[in-house]
Amino acid sequence: MLHVLFGGLLGLALLWGLARGSGEAVASAALTAAGEGVQSAIGMAGGFALFCGLMEILKRAGAIDGLARRIRPLLVLLLGRDVPEDAWPYVTMNLAANMLGLGNAATPMGIEAARRMAHGETATNALCLFLVINSSSVQVLPTSVIALRAAAGSGQPGAIVLPALLATGLSTAVGILACKIAQRRP
Amino acid sequence: MNALLPLFVLLCLGVGAFRRVPLYDVFLEGARTGIDTARRIVPALIAMLCAIRTFSACGLMDALCALCAPALNAVGIPPQVLPLMLLKPLSGSASLAVLKTILDTYGPDSRIGLVASVMMGSSETVFYTCGVYLAAAGVKKSRHTVPCALLAWLAGSVAAGFLI
Repeated sequence: MLHVLFGGLLGLALLWGLARGSGEAVASAALTAAGEGVQSAIGMAGGFALFCGLMEILKRAGAIDGLARRIRPLLVLLLGRDVPEDAWPYVTMNLAANMLGLGNAATPMGIEAARRMAHGETATNALCLFLVINSSSVQVLPTSVIALRAAAGSGQPGAIVLPALLATGLSTAVGILACKIAQRRP
Repeated sequence: MNALLPLFVLLCLGVGAFRRVPLYDVFLEGARTGIDTARRIVPALIAMLCAIRTFSACGLMDALCALCAPALNAVGIPPQVLPLMLLKPLSGSASLAVLKTILDTYGPDSRIGLVASVMMGSSETVFYTCGVYLAAAGVKKSRHTVPCALLAWLAGSVAAGFLI
């Protein structure tokens, strides 16, 4: 999919540029952008490092386990009895780690959870819902966005935290609702 | 609202100190993974920034935005964030590149910049997340997963335009 995206965007742009006689300008945009890619990664690295350091402290203090315990009742309510008992620790830990933005810790647990929830080659209702919740983002603090905003010279890089939380809450709710409606059909 | 970030930092330090976490050492350990992440995304960021910038430079992006402007304006989303809306479900680095472009062009604290930031923070990369977990679980029939996840993404995007 990304091959098509990368090749398609770049190819179309160059063809279009050549056809309209601005091929040179389009190609130089590519070169400038390449340099900016490096600069922006450097600009963000500081923010990334700061948040990752703080999150590591939270993780070491047992925040994932604590959070996982607290969200379990809600998840039992949502996912129901469809989830095998041995999948539960991975489901709750995955979502807790995602809430804290600890993607590295979350992914292996999510894979383990998905493996235990799948029935053969067809996704169960619970697995569908788990994936929808996961892909609608449950992250409380969008750290990479804050880091990027700070790097772009924002006066209030954290101003988006509350609206982002509301937006992601709403999107998760819509996703859950859609799943509950869709799963009634065979 | 401006107190959120400092409060969060205090919370981390407080909880860490309370649980006797060696703050400095653990912070360094985490910060190292942060630097690694930043380093790891460089090639993807370059690739996607090139693709997106050339696409904008040749005028196709403007044409696409103009085409979709009436529908987006109707729900309160500035048409300039359309590229982010389209790319976010597909690729994390592509959407990061688009967000950077939007913040640089219109300013991080403008309405366009704020809507784009909220949008970026309100969803994961749908196709990537679903793809990784489904593949790992050996699931071939994902049923309603992707449509529902995309609907959630749409709801989050509209909410971003509505909230800012």
